[in-house]
Amino acid sequence: MADRSLEFSPTIPTVAAQQDDHLWSWRRLLNKTLLYSILVVAAVVAMVPFLWMISSSLMTLGETINRQWLPTTPQWDNYTRAWRDAQFGDYFLNSVIITGVTIAGLLFTSIFAAYAFARVKFFGRGVMFTLILSTLMIPESVIMIPNFLTVTGRIIPLPQLHPELPFISFGGSWMNTLSALTVPFMANAFSIFLLRQFFAQIPDDLWDAARIDGSGHLRFLLQIVLPISRPAMLTVTLLTFIGAWNAFLWPLIVTTRETWRPLMVGLYNFVQEGGTQTHLMMAGSFITIIPTLILYFLTQKTFTEGIATTGLKG
Amino acid sequence: MTATNLNQNSASASGIRRFWPKPDTIRENITGWVFISPAILLVFVFGLFPIGYAFYMSLHRWRIQQGRFLWFDNYTATVGDWGGALLFVLSMVGLYLTYRVWTGAFSNAQSNTWLLKVGVALAMMGASLFMLVIGWDRMMGAGNTAYLNGLVYTFYFAFASVPIQLALGLILAYVLYQNIRGKEFFRMIFFLPYVTPAVAAAVIFRVVFSPRENALANSLLGMFGVEPQRWIAESRPFVNAMFGLNLEGFLAGPSMALISVVILGIWTYVGYNVVIFLAGLGAIPADLYEAARVDGASEWNLFRSITLPLLSPITFYLSILGFIGTFKAFNTIYVMRDPFAQGTTDVASIVVFDTFYKASRYGEATAQAIVLFLIILALTQIQRNVFEKRVFYG
Repeated sequence: MADRSLEFSPTIPTVAAQQDDHLWSWRRLLNKTLLYSILVVAAVVAMVPFLWMISSSLMTLGETINRQWLPTTPQWDNYTRAWRDAQFGDYFLNSVIITGVTIAGLLFTSIFAAYAFARVKFFGRGVMFTLILSTLMIPESVIMIPNFLTVTGRIIPLPQLHPELPFISFGGSWMNTLSALTVPFMANAFSIFLLRQFFAQIPDDLWDAARIDGSGHLRFLLQIVLPISRPAMLTVTLLTFIGAWNAFLWPLIVTTRETWRPLMVGLYNFVQEGGTQTHLMMAGSFITIIPTLILYFLTQKTFTEGIATTGLKG
Repeated sequence: MTATNLNQNSASASGIRRFWPKPDTIRENITGWVFISPAILLVFVFGLFPIGYAFYMSLHRWRIQQGRFLWFDNYTATVGDWGGALLFVLSMVGLYLTYRVWTGAFSNAQSNTWLLKVGVALAMMGASLFMLVIGWDRMMGAGNTAYLNGLVYTFYFAFASVPIQLALGLILAYVLYQNIRGKEFFRMIFFLPYVTPAVAAAVIFRVVFSPRENALANSLLGMFGVEPQRWIAESRPFVNAMFGLNLEGFLAGPSMALISVVILGIWTYVGYNVVIFLAGLGAIPADLYEAARVDGASEWNLFRSITLPLLSPITFYLSILGFIGTFKAFNTIYVMRDPFAQGTTDVASIVVFDTFYKASRYGEATAQAIVLFLIILALTQIQRNVFEKRVFYG
């Protein structure tokens, strides 16, 4: 589909259009000017809030109140103050750890599950896959409250890890722990589905060859399937990053203390408590946005396509 | 999709199986279950089990601790009056049937019964609207007014933002599709708001729409000579705040504060619609345009008779996605919420959260969440029925 549209791009002038060009070149110029002005206006509207944020984040408190467009002297100090005094540094570190752990956990569970659903023949495969997919329909607000009870340990005994023997015990609550923020998001129907579709396309010849060499499923998965599935894994990683980094509602209810409070909740609390310190608020917002922006600019194509095809947004 | 893949796999696997003895099946089963067990465990505990448990909770009095079994009392507390709710649902069905009769009247040009059909349709519409008003009144009289008002605000939010998002997205995509220099650059800029974390975007827009006279939104209004507005801190309907119109009840429309949220929504989602529309435009065969141009069609004709119908599946997809999105929207609204808006931005999802988190009425909150979920399901189904016939799949 995409190839075809490239070949027959309507931008190639036709005979009729060329004649049109000639006769109506002034009109075409007018047309172009109109088109570009629409685009430029839209681009300005899209960008202004960002520019406003950056400009405000470099102002003194007085300047944000008296409202200038630009700071007289950029107050770079605002960022150090936001980072240290308003604790955005701590929140940032928390968010990085939460996001990293979630991505690692999710990749682990979904790679194995997706591989099994795509290439291992076992009893109950279809039923299990349908059951997993059925969770895609359910909105977060319905399952949030039971999950909150689960995480506070009121429904099932929760495993707790310890550094000393016997390493694991059951019971207690996960409130204000890393587990509450990461474990519920370590498996997700969509990632399993996406990876499964990719793994299922890998030619059977590769598997036959690997088998003759005496390799089992595990070795085939780790040595052949994973290296050639990098694009799919990148998409899953990016989507998980967005989900974990932007998460707000769930972290809000499971973090009552500072210990593991992520950036989004920290920013919200800062707005609620110090709502008048616009300059620090904007510096904090910028700190929150930067990692996503960097990732977006680095992996633009995968990023845009990944989100566009899934329609997911935190 | 799944079925064909499975068949292909089993076909090739059975070819190999002849060389491998039976114990292999056992090993395959063990491998399969070991591989899926971590994912299955998590999906069951945090994805499937909570669905059933939410329903179980909604049938109980549940305030932090589980109370006694209540049957459907939590649902009654939410919708108020079952008769009213039934009237309301019937009125929706009536409106849908009205639509069917109305379009049926004009579908067959030869038929001479169209006048009759239009008459029937008008009568049905009147009856449905009457049932709607009566039913809604009864529900509001006995039900949870915060939640029911929340549904109205959700309705405003969806109908104010989705059509504008779609229209702007389509215009920008169409412009970008004309031989434009820097297409990639513009696309990247337009997509940026969508990528921005919702909480951060809402924090920025809080400042942009602050009630201060020199805030960004007010300075922009000032350029056009319009009085400064109180934006997120304004509970009056925007037709009143902006134009001084005094309308009552449902017709008064969204508050100024909700309009601020709507603008943030539009700003966020237009870029996403542009990207999807652009992909759709790329898939329209160019020879269609060529042929029409040779026949002397104007640019407007091309757009109306080729682009729009061929894009209709995409428009349909985006509108469903948009409606589901607005009904589930939480983060931006929660952050934009201002006490001076006096709850006029509290859409249904916000009310559910407040019932759960602030009031600790877990049973009632799950009932509210389930009702909201059912409404979303019904709406997407109606949308499917109404628009799918108009969608042209090439």
